[in-house]
Amino acid sequence: MGHHHIEIKQEKFEFTSRSKMLSVVLLTLGIILSVIGIYQLKANDAHSSTVHATEASANTHADAHETVAAGHGEHSKPWTTRFWANMLVNSYYFLLFAVGALFFVALNYVANAGWAVLVKRIAEGISGFIPIGLILLFITLYFGGTQLYHWMHYEHQGLKEGMEGYDKILAGKSPFLNSKFLFLGVPLFILIWYCFRIILRRLSLREDAEGGTTFFRKSTRFSAAFLVIFGFSFSTLVWLMIMSVDAHWYSTIYTINNFAVMFVTSTTVICFFTIYLKSKGYMELVSSEILHDLGKFMFAFCVFWAYTWLAQYLLIWYANIHEEVVYFDARLHGYFRPIFFINLFMNFFIPFLILMMRNAKRNPKSLLVAGSIILIGHWFDVYLMIMPGVVGESSGLGLLELGMPIAFAGIFIFVAQYCISKANLYAINHPYIMESATYDVGP
Amino acid sequence: MFCFSTSINKRNLIYGVFDSEVNLMSAVEEVREKGMEVFDCYTPFPVHHLDTAMGISRTRLSIAAFLCGLTGFCLGLLLQFYMMVFDWPMNIGGKPSDYHMLPSMVPVVFECTILCTAFGLAFLFFFRNKLGHGVRPDILDLRQTDDHLLIAFDADTLDLNAKNELVVILNKNKVLSTHEYVGQYAVNHGGVHA
Repeated sequence: MGHHHIEIKQEKFEFTSRSKMLSVVLLTLGIILSVIGIYQLKANDAHSSTVHATEASANTHADAHETVAAGHGEHSKPWTTRFWANMLVNSYYFLLFAVGALFFVALNYVANAGWAVLVKRIAEGISGFIPIGLILLFITLYFGGTQLYHWMHYEHQGLKEGMEGYDKILAGKSPFLNSKFLFLGVPLFILIWYCFRIILRRLSLREDAEGGTTFFRKSTRFSAAFLVIFGFSFSTLVWLMIMSVDAHWYSTIYTINNFAVMFVTSTTVICFFTIYLKSKGYMELVSSEILHDLGKFMFAFCVFWAYTWLAQYLLIWYANIHEEVVYFDARLHGYFRPIFFINLFMNFFIPFLILMMRNAKRNPKSLLVAGSIILIGHWFDVYLMIMPGVVGESSGLGLLELGMPIAFAGIFIFVAQYCISKANLYAINHPYIMESATYDVGP
Repeated sequence: MFCFSTSINKRNLIYGVFDSEVNLMSAVEEVREKGMEVFDCYTPFPVHHLDTAMGISRTRLSIAAFLCGLTGFCLGLLLQFYMMVFDWPMNIGGKPSDYHMLPSMVPVVFECTILCTAFGLAFLFFFRNKLGHGVRPDILDLRQTDDHLLIAFDADTLDLNAKNELVVILNKNKVLSTHEYVGQYAVNHGGVHA
């Protein structure tokens, strides 16, 4: 490398009223679309329940609503179920971005990696969404729990052994799958992660002010601790929140697949924010070399996602055991069949072929194209994890499904930009900042 | 001794010896600014960006890698389809012997893709760089194998004026010495630099 003198000028992102407006517009648009979607669903519900009620009163004395709430999937679910399912999809999905960004920061510390120091503050800023995501997620779990999780509904029934409707599997899982653990464990784990975020952020800001390598060493130690804790708690969280929508079914590689979703989407989001800031004239030091490496991460974890996805699918398909196959049966046949294949194409084949090219990883436009496909594709991925178990065949892709991600994106973009604007864009006293500024991927 | 390359022309080169890659780089840059072409550089260690400074275009090995991988992918599919569907259909786990068994083919297809890419690239790399068993390494000067760096020019392409200019540039960049080389073992590697 030549002996060019590189001066790192400190700059700060200004959260202008125009970009605030954009988030607010997204949020309002999303809410309006969702409300229209809800009214449509309500109208449908009213229509079908009158039909249903006449049928029910004619045939049996069973209360139609009781049957609906019992979740036997024979009747269409009310709009509230679909609403809470959408809330779970989006609050989980957008929380993954923030958590993944924190993971990215910690990973770079532990791996002693220098290339990403220039974009570290972006990742830190995105991870500032964790508390907001937690609030949205907790609202969903607390108020929508009984409609989302049929094990929670079962728990409220309080059946004893020998009674009618007693479920041996759910009873066996109840020490883990119970509402107390859900309402305590989820906030606890996420708050622990957020504590690490606060610590890492504070160390980073003090490093800016005071300099020296002590903060770097401390950050590395805290990052290592975070990664260990995160590995366990993330798995538990995914079992508890996402895998338990199909409470009878389980898969051991499920959490790793979710981890892959987290990593690939958060690197994509970091990449998007970097491109956005560069287009606004900030961060001129961030060269296409750093975009190239972010693109490599996107590419690599597309492949990793496909690998874990196939590992899960292949074993279940091959063994063909009744209680395992139901998971894919619900997704491969019936309403979800097209989404099942859309998921594969959007998350693996298309980004794989685009991001394989070296120039595609260095060019912001192709990164935006591939990244958008990945982000939309993984939304479908999470949709496919949750919807068949919660809503079943009566789920759909309507205005509610369109509006809610837009509203969540509005909140997320607002919070992330706010947090990015709170600190200097470059971690100027980071010991590896020069490595990042002169970074070169090679030919 | 077996020799890889059959068409060896006698080369008539001028080369300068440097003891610093910084001087070498600036010499290359200045020479190229004057519109002269560098025949090749010989360095005992990789010098970053030397290839771009010399005007060597990026390797096309990645395209070759994709084609090799595609070949492996197709061969893997063909192999399994031929064996399991046409030649000797087998009932494994009650799975039908037609395109429905595609998921079970994925691991083998994957392995075939990797195998073809790895072998294809390794052989292509050796072929493109004219490296083979028994090939005489192109050593113009023994010091290039130790701690000195060489910059070589094709003397046939330079007229007297250009030669003088060249010497001036080399001296300006603290060349240790300049020599002439007439021989057959200097191979122009062209596009690919490992």
